[in-house]
Amino acid sequence: MNDGSSKKILFNKSTLFSLKAELLRKQEEVNEKRRLPQHKIENFKPPPAREKEKDQDKDTKIAYKKTFKDSLQAVDTEELEACRKAKLALEKKAELYEHLSDGAGNSQLASRFLVDFNTKKQQELEKPVEIPPEQPTQNSANDDDEWTEFTDCLGRTRKCHKSDISLFLKRDAELMRAINKDKPTSSQEEVSKPEEPSVPEKEKPLLVQTTNEYLQSLREKWEEKERELLAKDKDIHYQDLLFDEARIHGVGYYSFSTDETERRKQMEELIKRREETLKAQQEAEQVRKKRDELIAARVAAARARQRARAGLPPEEPKDNQKDFTTCLLEFLTQQKNEADAKAKEKENKLKMEQEKERQKLREAYVREWDIGKDGVDGKAKKFREMTQEEYVEQQREKRINEFAPTQASTSGNAVFDDKGNMVGNKDPPATKTWADVRPRVKTPPPPEIGDVSEITKGLYFSSASNKEERPVKYRNFVRAQEPTPIIDELEDANPVPEETRTDSVGVEVPPPPTFEYYGPTIKQTKFDKPFESDIREAYSQGAKSLETKSSGRQLPKHYDFTFD
Amino acid sequence: MTASEVSYNRKIISEDLSNVEFDTSEDVEVIPTFDSMGLRDELLRGIYTYGFEKPSAIQQRSILPIVKGRDVIAQAQSGTGKTATFSISILQSLDTTLRETQVLVLSPTRELATQIQKVILALGDFMNVQCHACIGGTNLGEDIRKLDYGQHVVSGTPGRVFDMIRRRVLRTRSIKMLVLDEADEMLNKGFKEQIYDVYRYLPPATQVVLISATLPHEILEMTSKFMTDPIRILVKRDELTLEGIKQFFVAVEREEWKFDTLCDLYDTLTITQAVIFCNTKRKVDWLTQKMQEANFTVSSMHGDMPQKERDNIMKEFRSGQSRVLITTDVWARGIDVQQVSLVINYDLPNNRELYIHRIGRSGRFGRKGVAINFVKSDDIRILRDIEQYYSTQIDEMPMNVADLI
Repeated sequence: MNDGSSKKILFNKSTLFSLKAELLRKQEEVNEKRRLPQHKIENFKPPPAREKEKDQDKDTKIAYKKTFKDSLQAVDTEELEACRKAKLALEKKAELYEHLSDGAGNSQLASRFLVDFNTKKQQELEKPVEIPPEQPTQNSANDDDEWTEFTDCLGRTRKCHKSDISLFLKRDAELMRAINKDKPTSSQEEVSKPEEPSVPEKEKPLLVQTTNEYLQSLREKWEEKERELLAKDKDIHYQDLLFDEARIHGVGYYSFSTDETERRKQMEELIKRREETLKAQQEAEQVRKKRDELIAARVAAARARQRARAGLPPEEPKDNQKDFTTCLLEFLTQQKNEADAKAKEKENKLKMEQEKERQKLREAYVREWDIGKDGVDGKAKKFREMTQEEYVEQQREKRINEFAPTQASTSGNAVFDDKGNMVGNKDPPATKTWADVRPRVKTPPPPEIGDVSEITKGLYFSSASNKEERPVKYRNFVRAQEPTPIIDELEDANPVPEETRTDSVGVEVPPPPTFEYYGPTIKQTKFDKPFESDIREAYSQGAKSLETKSSGRQLPKHYDFTFD
Repeated sequence: MTASEVSYNRKIISEDLSNVEFDTSEDVEVIPTFDSMGLRDELLRGIYTYGFEKPSAIQQRSILPIVKGRDVIAQAQSGTGKTATFSISILQSLDTTLRETQVLVLSPTRELATQIQKVILALGDFMNVQCHACIGGTNLGEDIRKLDYGQHVVSGTPGRVFDMIRRRVLRTRSIKMLVLDEADEMLNKGFKEQIYDVYRYLPPATQVVLISATLPHEILEMTSKFMTDPIRILVKRDELTLEGIKQFFVAVEREEWKFDTLCDLYDTLTITQAVIFCNTKRKVDWLTQKMQEANFTVSSMHGDMPQKERDNIMKEFRSGQSRVLITTDVWARGIDVQQVSLVINYDLPNNRELYIHRIGRSGRFGRKGVAINFVKSDDIRILRDIEQYYSTQIDEMPMNVADLI
C-alpha cells in the first residue's frame, strides 16, 4: 500500500548519527541477551517490579495466598503471560527486521513498511527502525468511547477508531498470513545461527495447552454442562459431575440420567426391581424348602416301609435319636457359651461404666479453641465438690477387687436372721447342670459306686448343686464364683450326679487322714465322670441284647440292622 | 513468687508432649464387612455401586467411632480409602430431611474439595444427599445461591468457606461435624489460622475428625486444643509406604540432564497416565514449554492458573484425554485418578511428608504404581534420608521399568 520510492523522510545528519549510535547500543544489548540461552530456567524471570506491590496487597487481605509455600515467589498469571507475549513479539519483530534487511526484502512484506529496505541495502545502511503502518496517531481523546483497543498478531495492543477496526483487523490478518508465508526464509536464517534459540512459532499464550478439535469439543461440552448446572436451581447428583471421567465403578453401578424426572423414574424402577428380586429370592427359598421337606418325607416313608418289611418297629422321631456323645458335647458347648456370654456381659458392663465415666469427663472438657464461644465458660473446669457417697463410690470403683470385703456381706441374696447371722441364700443362681440335661433313660438308676462324698473335697467345690446342699453358716462366707469355662472343662469340677450324692445330715465328720484322702485322687475322680454310670448302663443293655440275640433267633440272618 | 514456682506453673500451662509417643487407641473395634457396620440400606447400596466390596483397614476401624460421634484422628496409607471413610461416616450420620449444613469438610486445594464433593455425592447417590463444593476462584453469586438452596454437606477450602460463614450465607448452627482432610497440611502454619477462624464460628464441642496419610508429632500434640479425647488410629512411619508402589531413582549429573531423561522416559509415561512434580510453578511452565517444543504432548497445572483452566485440565486428565501432567505440589495431596501408575519427582520434594503424598498419586486402592526420582548427586543424600525415615527401598531405576507399570 505504500510506495517506497515516493516516500520522503526528512532528517539531518546529526539525528542520523545519534540514531545509529542508539541502534548499535540496542544491538549490543540484544546480542548480549541472546547469548544467554533463553531456554534456561534461570532466565525465565517475571518482572519483579510489581511483586512488592502485590505482597503489600496480600498482607492487607486475608491470606488466601498463604496456602502454598511457594506463593512468595508467586507471579500473577497475567503478568507472566504479558511478559512472555511482549518478549515473543519483540523477537518476532527482530526476526522480521533481519529478514527484511537481509535481502529477502523483495517479498510482499517489504511493501508494507515505510522504510525502503532495498534502497537501504543499496546505501549500505544499518538496519532500519520500523514505523508500523498500523500505528494510529496518538489521540489525546482516547478515553472517548469511539476509540477501541485490539491486539494484533505481534501481540501489541493497539488503539484505533471504532469505524476503522475492521480495516485494521483485516490488515492484521494479512500481515499474519504474510509472516507465515515467509517463514521458510526466516528458518534458513536460523540455520545459519544455530547457537541461537529457536523462536516459538505458534502465536499462543504459554499456558494454553495444545488442544485438538476433539478436545475442544469436549471442553465445550463440559462448559455447557457446567453452565446448565449453575443455571438450574435443583439437586445435583453424582452423574452431573462426572464429565466423562474414566473411573471404574462397582458391578452394580448404574449411571442415572442427569435429567431429574428421568432420574426419579429410573430410581423408582430400580427400587421396584430390587423388591421383585427380593420377593423372587424368598419364593425360591420357600419352594426349595418345601421340596426338601417332601423329599425327606418320602425318604422317611421309604425307610419306614423297609423297616416294616423287615419286621422292625417303626423308627422313633429324630429328636430322640440324639446320640449320647453329641448330647454331651452340646451340653458342654452350651455351658461354655453361657459362661462366655456371662463373662462378656460383665466385661461390657464394666466397659460401659468406664465409658460413661469418660463421657462425663469429655462433656466437662473445654477445648482451648472453644473458650469464649456462646455458652462456654471462659474459666474452664470449675471444681465440683463431691458428696460423701460419691466419694465412697469413686473409691470403691478404684479398689482392686481382691482387696474388697467378701461379697456375701453385701450380697442382697443373703438371708439374715434376727441377730444378723446369715442363714442362707434366698435364690441361688439356677444354672443348669449336667444332671438336668442328660438324656433320661427309663432304666433304674445305676448302682451306687461307693461313697463319693469325699470327692467333693477336691480343690474346687464350686458346683451350684453342692451349694444348695449345705446350709451356710459362716459369716464371711464367700459365695462361690460361677464356674468359669476353664474350670468347667476339668473333670474334677463337673458336678456330681444327683443320684450319687449322699444326703449327709448332721455334722460332717472329716474323713480319717488316710492315704486315700491325702494321696492322689486320680482314680476316684474318674468316677466323677458323669457318664460313667451310663457306660455301665450301656454295657448291661448290650449284654442283655446279646443274650436275647443268642437265645432267640427270630431275626433273619441276612438282615443286619446296624447298617440300616 | 519464687523462680521455681513460676517455672512450675508454666509447665502446667504448656504441657510438654514432645516426648509422648502417640499410639493407636486401645479399644478400637475392627469390623470386617460393610454389612455389619449397621449402615443405612441406601448408603450400603451406594458403597457397593461405587466399587467398594470389603472395607479397607482404615474403614474397618474408623467408620464406627465417627458415626458414634467421637472425635477421631485417622491415619492410613495413601490410596486406601480415607476419603471414603469419612464420607461414609458423614452420610451415615446425616439427617437428610433437615435441609441445612450439618457437616463441613475442609481440604487444602480446590481440586481436592471438588473431588470430595463428588465422592460424597457418589456414595450418597441413593440417599438424595446434597453436597456443595465451596471453593475459591468461582463465582461468589453462584456460591451464595447454591448454599441458599440448602446443602447437607459443604466441602470447601478454608478461605471461601470462611468468607461464606462471615457473610452468614453458610449458617453454622446445625453443623455437628468438622472434617479436616489432609489434616497435617491444614494445621500447618499457612492454614492453621484460617482453620481457627472457621472453628470459632462452629458450635462448641463440635465433633472433629482429622484425616491424613501423614500426621507428624507436632500436629498430634496440638489436637487437644480443638478435640475432646480423640480416638487415634495411627500408622507407624515404617509402614507408611505401600508395597504396591515401587520406588526408583535416576542419578543425573546436571540439572539439564533431567530433561533428556524425561524425554527418554516419555513412552513409558504414556502407558497409562503419569504425573510429574516440580517444586515451583515457574519450573512447571518452563518444563511444559520445553516438552511441547520437543513435540511431546503434555498438560500442566499449577496454582497460578485461572480456576477455569485448572478445571479443564483436571477434567481432561480425569477423562484420560491427557496422559502426562506436569504440576506442582498443588497436586500432591489427595487427588485420586485411578489410572495414574507413574509419578516422577523431577525435583525432590521439600519435605518427607510430601514425598509420601506425591508417590501416593499412583497405586490407588490396591493398584500397582511406580515412582521415579530424578536426583542430582547432592540430592542423593536427601533421598537416602527419606528411604531410611520410612524404612523403604529406593533402588536405581531398572531398564525394564515399563514392565512394572
